[in-house]
Amino acid sequence: MTSDDPAPPTHSTTPSAHPATVPLTKEPEEPREQPAEPGPPEHDVLPPNLTAGEHDRGHRSHRPWSARRLPAALVAALVLVAAGAALVDVVAVRAGRPAAAWRRHLADELATRPVDDVWMLTGAAVAAAVGVWLIVLALTPGLRHWLPLRSPAPGLRAALDRDGAADLIRDAAMRVPGVGKARIRVRRHRVKARADVRFRDPRQVKDDLTAVLDDERGQLALARPPRIVVRVRRRTD
Amino acid sequence: MTPQPVVNRSLLALAGLVLLGGGLLILSAGLDIYRRHDLVPPAGWPLTTPDDVLLGSADRARWSSQGWWWWPAVIAALVLVVLLALWWLLAQLRRRRPGALPVGGTPPQEGIELLDRALSDAIAAEAGALPGVEHTAVRITGRPAHPLTRVGLTLTSQAAPGTVLDALCEGPLRTARRSTGSSHLPTEVRLQVAGHKPHRTE
Repeated sequence: MTSDDPAPPTHSTTPSAHPATVPLTKEPEEPREQPAEPGPPEHDVLPPNLTAGEHDRGHRSHRPWSARRLPAALVAALVLVAAGAALVDVVAVRAGRPAAAWRRHLADELATRPVDDVWMLTGAAVAAAVGVWLIVLALTPGLRHWLPLRSPAPGLRAALDRDGAADLIRDAAMRVPGVGKARIRVRRHRVKARADVRFRDPRQVKDDLTAVLDDERGQLALARPPRIVVRVRRRTD
Repeated sequence: MTPQPVVNRSLLALAGLVLLGGGLLILSAGLDIYRRHDLVPPAGWPLTTPDDVLLGSADRARWSSQGWWWWPAVIAALVLVVLLALWWLLAQLRRRRPGALPVGGTPPQEGIELLDRALSDAIAAEAGALPGVEHTAVRITGRPAHPLTRVGLTLTSQAAPGTVLDALCEGPLRTARRSTGSSHLPTEVRLQVAGHKPHRTE
């Protein structure tokens, strides 16, 4: 079927791992024609002068911005439940019924626990942390799992899955004679390749590997080619 | 695309600011920050000493005796919040699809439309036949005037993403542009690679 979503909302939580590295300050490294814009991904029309200082071909593919569906749905659901419960109970009390147990309990706790109570402090710390987290989600692009590709035409934006890039690079590394096993770790700005050398001189294998991986990086057509770090290890067992 | 990402991000930032502000307010009073650092909170500042409570009975009595309008105002505010939250939640669950796309450029020719599903099926069929493509998933979202084509491709392990992308642009997407008669067809492509064991590709 054609209804599969290529961007399931679960991806929107991927940036959570490294909030410190997420912020927009990465963007200015780019050729200056693209100011980091936190707007929606509506860059359908690229200004014509964009192509001037470009790479050998194509238009720069912007990093896609996540729609943040999942966090938005969670926050909306929580607010809905809390406000809905409060509304029902307030209306019930106005209609002459006794207040619900949770409301009496809550009012009692709020009236008796001073703010230096350990539960109040814990709750406040958690609330502040969640608040920071939501702000980070709101301001960062997300979709860290997708590497933007150079786009062959205006109006087309493309991205490659990081695991897919790792698979392709690993296959390329395995083509080098002497490499018995290769482990590839793809990050957004750096690719680490560690290879076990079964035969041949490791230094020569390393040179070959570097050349092959450079070539493969070109094949991937990434908008921002990552640095490649090659490590080889002799393994004869 | 709809302005939904902007709305989502603004509301998330708002929720985050509320939580952060509330949390910091309680923390600074609870840890007695004001006294330790000789800060004087402005008059009327809530929660200044560690003995304060969030909602004392005096506060409750004061709020409840505001007048006849107090409880109706509370109910109205809650209704508003509930409706907004419901709208926001439903907006996440709904996927906007154009339904039918106008054909024939600007102005579109009267009465001739192309169903979005027909177009996405056509793109998927043509893209699936490209060398190096194992699986395709194509959806068209947005409004009829501003459709966005989302193409998800799963590549075989022999494919080169750059080459596939070029082929996609020259083949299926050009066909799609020709069939809708509009030179402009915003497209978002996501490439994945079919999982496989490490092996030597010859």
